[in-house]
Amino acid sequence: MTHPLYGTTAVAGVGLRQFKRGASPLPERSLLVEAILDACLEAGLNPAEVDGFVSYGDDKNEPVRLMGDLGTRRLAWSASVFGGGGGGIAGAFGLAASAIISGQAKAVIVFRALAEGASGRMSAAVMAHHLNDHLLAAGLVSPAQMCAIRAQRLFKHYGVSQSIVEDLVRASYHHARNNPEAVGFGQDFDIAALHTSRWIAEPFRLFDCSRENDGAGALLLVSAEQAQDLAKPPVYLLGCAQGTEAGWGDLLENDADDLYATGGFRPVARDLYRQTGLSPADIDCVQLYENFDAQGVMSLIDHGFCTYENAAEVIRFDNLIAQGGKLPVNTAGGNLAQGFIHGIGLPIEAVRQLRGESANPVSGARTCLLAGGPGAPTVSSAIFANKVL
Amino acid sequence: MNHRLDGADAPYWQSLEAGQLQLPRCASCRRWLWPAGHRCSTCGSIGMVWEERPLRATVYSWTRTWHRFALTEALDLPYVSIVAEIEDCGIRLMGRMDDPSPDDPAIGEAVVGRIDRTRVGDDAIPTIIWSRAA
Repeated sequence: MTHPLYGTTAVAGVGLRQFKRGASPLPERSLLVEAILDACLEAGLNPAEVDGFVSYGDDKNEPVRLMGDLGTRRLAWSASVFGGGGGGIAGAFGLAASAIISGQAKAVIVFRALAEGASGRMSAAVMAHHLNDHLLAAGLVSPAQMCAIRAQRLFKHYGVSQSIVEDLVRASYHHARNNPEAVGFGQDFDIAALHTSRWIAEPFRLFDCSRENDGAGALLLVSAEQAQDLAKPPVYLLGCAQGTEAGWGDLLENDADDLYATGGFRPVARDLYRQTGLSPADIDCVQLYENFDAQGVMSLIDHGFCTYENAAEVIRFDNLIAQGGKLPVNTAGGNLAQGFIHGIGLPIEAVRQLRGESANPVSGARTCLLAGGPGAPTVSSAIFANKVL
Repeated sequence: MNHRLDGADAPYWQSLEAGQLQLPRCASCRRWLWPAGHRCSTCGSIGMVWEERPLRATVYSWTRTWHRFALTEALDLPYVSIVAEIEDCGIRLMGRMDDPSPDDPAIGEAVVGRIDRTRVGDDAIPTIIWSRAA
């Protein structure tokens, strides 16, 4: 039996506003309003008809406060995926789709907005969600440090070569170079900078870490039926899974031994593939949330694209780029080089890629996997496609 | 407000204040439980007992921090944080380690702990500081 989420909803419009961190010309909520208006404009849908909103990662913009600017007539669904990090980003689409297929809303915006002036440093906000005296006493107060401790185990216990993160970083900057919206647009990234930039928390140096930007992103999700009547070609949601299972969670570093050096996606990937009937071989490109490059590697392993043992054979620059790679990853530049508004740029690139609008088009791409923030106590992933397979 | 007085792990903090390490296990099936909670996930029993453990552990993983993150102002940079697997119970605790530089900490190496404090703002949180075992 086909899963209820399979191809029953679609993204009909996207909007993205991105600025340098701390340099937004508009207040945070105004950025969000602009991104939502852009998404509706693309779709040819009156923004007043949007009746649902979903976010993740402790976004502070409660949807009811957007009603005036958007002219919202009826707010029927407002919800957020629990969790302070980017783990919930893909789950937000499942939540939005649930509202639509159960008839509780018709046009749902999935969004994330962030401006330093309003929300502070994102890394500090994410960590504030988790901080306790155990962490403070150990001097572990940032996502970078928590992910660094997991990365050490990946490299030093499992023996994954640390040099493979270099290929992921190079591919990200390679894609960003062609993307006018990317922080890394037009720049030749010198990979030596990865090895010479200052230490943050070993094994991470500065360029192992994602950036933070001011900005907002919005994606309009409607029923597959309605999407066919709107202006843009529909990008269908084929499946979505979120959460965790026993052995992983908010456990003060007491996750199961065989899960410790993962991104936490094993149950989510398993359910996603089971739900859709697809496998890693069916995925034409990946938008991969990399808060830190090593966590991106873990996420690719968790989703079945490679193993600890053969990661170095798969995570190679020429295999990761849109121009001929078998596993094109982060074709707009990703969190490392496109910019980082808590990951919302990733699903937007998934949609653009599947419409053929990417700055780095993947020839013949039909499917795109969105992998949410790795290492969070609860994570999520989704698969999008430009036709229902 | 001090969660060290009213949380499920209050006995842990009180034990450190008293100069020893106590960790919780299920009163019924004796399984070690961490983070401290209310009910054993294995046998379903309510209630736990706290038992003293020696300050001996192995390094499960580690990081050395060089960036001055907010809330770490009292710590000299760089400093080493570790996840320490406590001997004979498998519970992992986060703590700090006397930096053994130039040799990095090694996963699996034995460490011994002492109880000190970490100053964060006006607070001084009891902390296990680990050192490479002789």
